Amino acid sequence: MGKYEIAGTTFELKPLFDYCKKNYAEFSAADNAAAEFTVESTAEALKKERELFGFSEKVPDPYVEDIFFERAVCGYILDKKNGTLFHGSVIEYKGEGYAFTARSGTGKSTHARLWRELLGDRVKMVNDDKPIVRIVDGVPIVYGTPWKGKHRLGGIKGVPLKAVCKIVQAKENEIREVSVKEFLPTFFIQCYRPEDRDGNEKFFSFLDGLLKSVKLYELKCNISEDAAKLSFNTMTGDKI
Amino acid sequence: MKIKSGYLVKEVAGTYVVVAVGKRASEFNGMINLNETAAKLWERLEKGATEDELVNFLTDTYEVGEEKARENVKTFIDKLKTAGVIEGE
Repeated sequence: MGKYEIAGTTFELKPLFDYCKKNYAEFSAADNAAAEFTVESTAEALKKERELFGFSEKVPDPYVEDIFFERAVCGYILDKKNGTLFHGSVIEYKGEGYAFTARSGTGKSTHARLWRELLGDRVKMVNDDKPIVRIVDGVPIVYGTPWKGKHRLGGIKGVPLKAVCKIVQAKENEIREVSVKEFLPTFFIQCYRPEDRDGNEKFFSFLDGLLKSVKLYELKCNISEDAAKLSFNTMTGDKI
Repeated sequence: MKIKSGYLVKEVAGTYVVVAVGKRASEFNGMINLNETAAKLWERLEKGATEDELVNFLTDTYEVGEEKARENVKTFIDKLKTAGVIEGE
C-alpha cells in the first residue's frame, strides 16, 4: 500500500485521508517497488500548507492534503527527473500528445472536449488539468497524473508530447505557429515553478529542452466544431 | 548602480529571460524578455558596471559608434529603473 507510479517515477505517499487514497488508487505500484521518494502527510505538514496558501478553515483537510502531495511530487520531478507539472488539457492522437494550455476558465478543457466529440475513440484524454511533462532520453513525454480536473478525465500513462497550443478566446478561429519568445511569458506562468534560485535554474534548463523539441501554437477560437477541426488539422497534419 | 539581488537571467531556446527568485519572487512573478545584447548588458550590470563601461563594451563588441551605444545604454538603464530592478546611482 502507498506506492504509486506517477510520471515514470515510483513514490511512496502516505495520506491521512481516504480522498487522496481513492484519487491516487489507479496509480498504485507493486508493494515491493522501490520508492524513489517518500512523502508523509502529517497534521503539522497540512497546517504549514494552509499557511503557505492562506487557505481558510473552510477548505477541507483532504483537499489541502491533495495539494500537499501534488507540490511534493512536482517538486521532486523538477529536482530529479527533468520535468514539471503544468496547467493544461492533454489529449492523445495516434500515440502522441497534444496539449492545450491557457489561464483557468479560458476553455482548454472545452477545446479538448470538442476534439473528443469530433474524433470519438480515435483520441484519448491523457490529463484534463495538471499533467506532468518530462524530458526522457531527449524526448518530451507528457504523463497523466491524479490531478485531472473537475471532470476527472485522464489516465496514468505517458505519451510523447508533439505540440503545445495556447488558447485565446475569440469570435473568429485562427491558428498559427508561434516562437518561443512569444510563447514563453504566458506558458511559464502555467507551470509549477519553485521560488529558489537552484530550482529556477533547473526549471529553465528543462523549459529550454522542452520548447526546442515541441511545436508551439496559438489558437484564437470560439467554442465550435470548426475550431476543433482547425486545430486538429494544423497540429496533427491529418485532415478531418 | 547595480541590479538588485534576486534576479536570474536564463537562455531558453534562443531567447533570454529574467525572472525573480527567492524573496524577490514575491514582488515580481512575471518575466522580462531580453535580446542577446541586453542579456550581456544585464550580466555586466549585475557586477556593478558603470554606464561608461557598458558603452565601451558595446563599441568594443559591435560595430556601433559611441553616441549610438550611449543612447542604447541609457534607454536600457531607464527601462530597468522603471521596472525597479536597479539600485544606486
